[in-house]
Order: sequence, then C-alpha cells, then structure tokens
Amino acid sequence: MGRSRVHLWFIGPAIILMMGLLILPVFVAAVLSFTDYNLGNPSFNWIGVENYDRLVSRSTYKKMFTASLTYVLLVVPISVALGLGAALLIASLRIGGELYKAVFFLPVMATLLAMAIVWEFALHPIVGVVNDILRSGCDVGWLHALLSGSWLGGDPLQSWYGHACAEDFPLWLGDKNYALGTIAFIGIWQGFGFNMVLYLAGLTSVPRELYQAAHMDGADSAWERFRLVTWPMLGPTNVFVVTISSIRSFQVFDTVEALTRGGPSKSTYVMVYAMFEKGVKQNLLGIGSAITIVFLGFVLILTLIQVYFVNRRVHYA
Amino acid sequence: MAGIVLRQVTKTYGTLRVLNGIDLDIADGEYLTLVGPSGCGKSTTLRIIAGLESQTTGDVEIDGRVVNEVRPSRRDLAMVFQSYALYPHLTVRQNLVTPLQLRDMNFWQRIPLLGYLAPGRRAKMSKIEDDVRKAAETLKIEPLLHRKPGQLSGGQRQRVALGRAMVRNPAAFLMDEPLSNLDAALRVHMRAELSELHRELGATFVYVTHDQAEALTMSDRMAVMMDGDILQLGPPDEVYEDPRDIRVAEFIGSPKMNILPGRGDSAGRITALGVAVEEALAVPSEGPLSVGFRPEHLHIQPADNGACFSGRLTYKENLGSDVFLHLAVEGIEGKAVIRAKPHEADFADVGEDVWFTGEVGMARVFGADGKRVALAEPQLMRKTS
Repeated sequence: MGRSRVHLWFIGPAIILMMGLLILPVFVAAVLSFTDYNLGNPSFNWIGVENYDRLVSRSTYKKMFTASLTYVLLVVPISVALGLGAALLIASLRIGGELYKAVFFLPVMATLLAMAIVWEFALHPIVGVVNDILRSGCDVGWLHALLSGSWLGGDPLQSWYGHACAEDFPLWLGDKNYALGTIAFIGIWQGFGFNMVLYLAGLTSVPRELYQAAHMDGADSAWERFRLVTWPMLGPTNVFVVTISSIRSFQVFDTVEALTRGGPSKSTYVMVYAMFEKGVKQNLLGIGSAITIVFLGFVLILTLIQVYFVNRRVHYA
Repeated sequence: MAGIVLRQVTKTYGTLRVLNGIDLDIADGEYLTLVGPSGCGKSTTLRIIAGLESQTTGDVEIDGRVVNEVRPSRRDLAMVFQSYALYPHLTVRQNLVTPLQLRDMNFWQRIPLLGYLAPGRRAKMSKIEDDVRKAAETLKIEPLLHRKPGQLSGGQRQRVALGRAMVRNPAAFLMDEPLSNLDAALRVHMRAELSELHRELGATFVYVTHDQAEALTMSDRMAVMMDGDILQLGPPDEVYEDPRDIRVAEFIGSPKMNILPGRGDSAGRITALGVAVEEALAVPSEGPLSVGFRPEHLHIQPADNGACFSGRLTYKENLGSDVFLHLAVEGIEGKAVIRAKPHEADFADVGEDVWFTGEVGMARVFGADGKRVALAEPQLMRKTS
C-alpha cells in the first residue's frame, strides 16, 4: 500500500514556478559569472573568478561601487528623515492632512521615466527653469547678498552662489561633480512620499495612552515625547523603511538611463545601469552576471540586517 | 496630598455636550469613585482633572489652587491607565525612573551617555534609585525590575503602572478603569490591594469604573454619573440604601433593583401591580409611580394571602449561599429577581407560579420624573390605614 502522492500536486506548481522563475535564473547567472560567455557566441570558456577580479581591480567598477554607495548613502538618510518629518507634521494637522498626503505621494505614483524627462528640461543648463530662477536672483541685490553671504562681510566670490553668479550656474546633469547629487535629489523627491506613507501607518499604531502617560510623567516638550514614545514605538517601521529605501536606492536605474547614461565620466555609473550596459547593450553576459551576483549579495546583506533587527531589537509584543 | 475641587465644569465636543456642570469636592486623602455606564462622562471628568483635556467652562482646583491653565505634569498628579501605558521598550526600572528623571533632572542631565558628564547627575540619580527601590518594595515588584513590560503578566503590569504613579509621591492618584483588563479572580484580589495601598499611602484617589461592585467595595464615597451629570454622591452604603434617582437605583446593586409599576392616589396610598403596598406618600398625589424593591427585600410566600404579587418561576440561579429566583411577572419588562436562602426556595419549581411580597419599609418609590418620592413616617402610615 503506497502513500498518497496527492501532496505533490499541491506543492508541485509552486515549487516548479519558484525554481523556474527565481532560483534557476539566479543559478544560471551565478554559473555565467564564471565564464566569458557573450550572447550569440556558440560556446564559452571557464575563466574562474576573472570577472570578479575585474570588478575589484578595474577603475570603471570602482567608480560603479562608489556611485551606487554614494547614491544609497545620500538618498536613504535624507528620504527617511524627510518621510518621518512629513509624517509627523501631517499627523499633527487637524485639517488639510489629506491634501499634503496626496501632494507628497504624487511623485511616487508618477512614472519615473516621464518625470525624468521633465527634470531634464527643468535642469537644462541654458533654458532650464532651475538655472533661470537661480540666475534671476543674481540681479536682486539683497537676495544676492543673502545667498552669497556677503551680508556677513564675506567675499561674494568665495561663496558657491556668488561664484556661480559671476561664472555660470552648473550644468547639473552634465557636470561630473553635480550629476550624482542631482540624480540623488530626484531619487529623494520621488521616494520620500513612500516613506511618509509607511511612517503615517506606523504612527497610527502608537497607542494614544502612551502619549498621555508621557504628558503626566512630565514630558512637556514635543521633543521629549518624541524621544520617549514616538521614536521607540516606530522601531519596527524604521527598520522596514530603511531596508526598503536602501534596496530601492540600490535598484536606481530609470533616472540614470534617461538623464545621464552613467556619465559624465562614469560619475553616475550605478550597479543596475552597469548590469544593463554590460549584459544587455554590450552582450557581455559574463561580467554582467558577476555584477548581478554582487548586487544580489548587497540586497541579501540588507535583508539579513533587517531580519536581525526585527527579531532581536525592536520587537516589543 | 491635596483635595480636588471641580466647580461647574462643562465639556462640549462641537454640539455634543458630555458634561453638564459637574460640581465635586474631593477631600484630601479620600478614595472617591466615579461610576457610571460607558459614555456617561466619567473618564472625561478624570481627564479634565488630569489636564489631558481642557474643560469648556468651569474651574478645577487642586490644593486650593486653580489649575485650569496648568500643564498635566505640573499638577502633581499621577495617572494609572486602563491599558497601563507602560513604555514597552524600557525595563520596569526604567519605566519607574522616567517620571523622576523628567521631574528632577535638567535637560543636560537627561541626555543619554553625555548626561553622565553633567554636574549634579550622580547625586540626583542615587536619590531617584532610592525612590524607585522604595516603590518597588511597597509593591513587591523588585524581582521584575530588569524585565520589560512585554514579559510581565497582567497583574504584574498593573503593579508596575501603580509603581510608576507612586514614585513621584503625587498629590493625588487618578485611575481610569485600572482593573478592567484583569481576569475576574485577579480583579477581586487587586481591589483589596488597592484599598490597602490607599490606606498605606493616605493619598487622594480618584477612581473611574463602570463596575458598580468596585465602586461599592473600594471607595469612601462614590459619585454615580449618567449622561454628563452626577446623579448622586455619597458613601457606598448610602447610595445603595437610599438612591435618589431611579437610574441610580437600577445601576447600583447586582442583580439590579426590581422596579414595579404602581400608582399613588389622593389619600397617599400606593399600589404596585395593583396590589396595595404598606407604605404611604408623604405628600399625597394622584399619578403613576415606580416602586422599587431590591432582590433581598422580596420574599416568596407559600400561599396567596391577598396582598401578594405573583409570577412564574423561569429560572433558579443557585449560587450556593443564595438562590436567585427569576420570575416572569405580568406588567414588568424583563424578569423580577428574588434573592432567597436555598431552603426558602426549596418548594418552588421552575415553571410554577409563586407568590411573593415586598418587605415592609424597604420599598423605594420614584415619581414619574425618576426622582425619589418621600414616604410618610411609618407611625403616620398606621394611623391613616
């Protein structure tokens, strides 16, 4: 008498789908990362860790890691702080909160590629609205004095604004010193509304009675109550928001592809764009796969950190 | 230690009026209970005393000082919440330390890590540790000091919440249904502990509950609130024996008072369910009345003597020491309940008709407006009949 095999029919489809769509591609990428396979070639050679060796030795890939990590370190703290600040302000409103929520959430819902094109126009060095506005301030005496710091007695040419008025304003996306910062700014603009919504959800789960207890205990200032109640109670939300923001920042691609294509001089050559360029545009699947595996490694580390915090540090129930 | 006085306190939310001019004088060291059904305004009253909500009009005085504009923390009150509201990320010890740090230390001394460098911190901290140890000793929670609230049982959390209130040695304790999250056995136990704690501390307690049993067992005085008014304020015995309003009569006491529809006539005689009651109105007037008897003041009779009520026995609730007889009586909604000793109820079987009478002198008579109606003195009554 054989055991019923009906359970295989229940779990089989899920396992096949998971293997076929998730595990197998990762496995294939891992295998390809040890080869010099190019798409279209009839065969490939095993080259061991040469691809990985290139990743750590070539200056292009050093620039790639620098760009990706700088982007993450710029976007994550700022978009998390802005999201929390906006959520706290909106939660304290009696009326109008819905309007602010909608406004801040708009960039999250908008198609980033389309928004990138709008930003491209706005940031155009000559006809863009950003530089137009900045330039118009140069002719207003008091504004120029205020922004250039000359009202404090400083030399206007020493300041960023005063100098830019005299020379010209940055090319933004065309200047290797500004391009990554500009891309990061767009990333923050686009992403902090999402963090705000997560924080708003987190705030609603903080019991009202804790705030009242804090009032009774003498936490008179808003800052004291934030430190005593809000911040600790948002612990689980913080971990989630930081992880999600980090992963999303590692994944940045559409703004780079639409606005800078990795340049100028690889200053915005982030990991996912490098994958796309190597693996898709240049058909170099070997090195593309190696980048992918390193990328997955970063995401895995972030996820493990999140799991650690969720289990160990911020669980109160 | 301080007395608390409320003068004509009202509260409205938009057009909704939740308190209609509360006057309350709570003596120093008194255990006063605000009791009433949910939505009666008792919690709002407590929160107005605490300063967590502001009254629409009226004054709150603590220790002779009007505190209308004073922040909650400066009123020198402590509050125990229904959910305990312990800080879940802090240990029990830190929960107890927090209110003292916030009161006694300045901004610099409270900064984490850096605060250790602030002058005067060490002396203050050792005083705080002393106070915390004392409170923990009183409440017997010393073994719990290093646990977090999530690792405690309901009763332990309750005690920690009390401890957090106690450490500051406040002028008065405000308690908002502190026992309602506990199971029945623990609730009865904590009732006794709270009363004991009150005696020990000698502080003013203002206690909010919807449970009339808690109000009756624990308080020096109780204020029965309904629909934003204090209907009656007095010691538990007095409120139970001498309810001034039919709503108080029905709310206080379990099972609740039996209300029989009746009439008064121009000679002052009273009938209930058409049967003459051996009591008379002090001021005779014709009209409908409600005649109330507590379950213990109704007695079953073996036979109809002509002056009995009757009803069909639907249920015998045996509590061991007593039996509650539930009767369907024509003319009253719900069931009439009689409290009897087991041997008195022996002969009555469910489904049978039984006769019962009200104990002489124990009728509480209410007018059509729900207010108590004065009865004639017993001597006078005999003369007239």
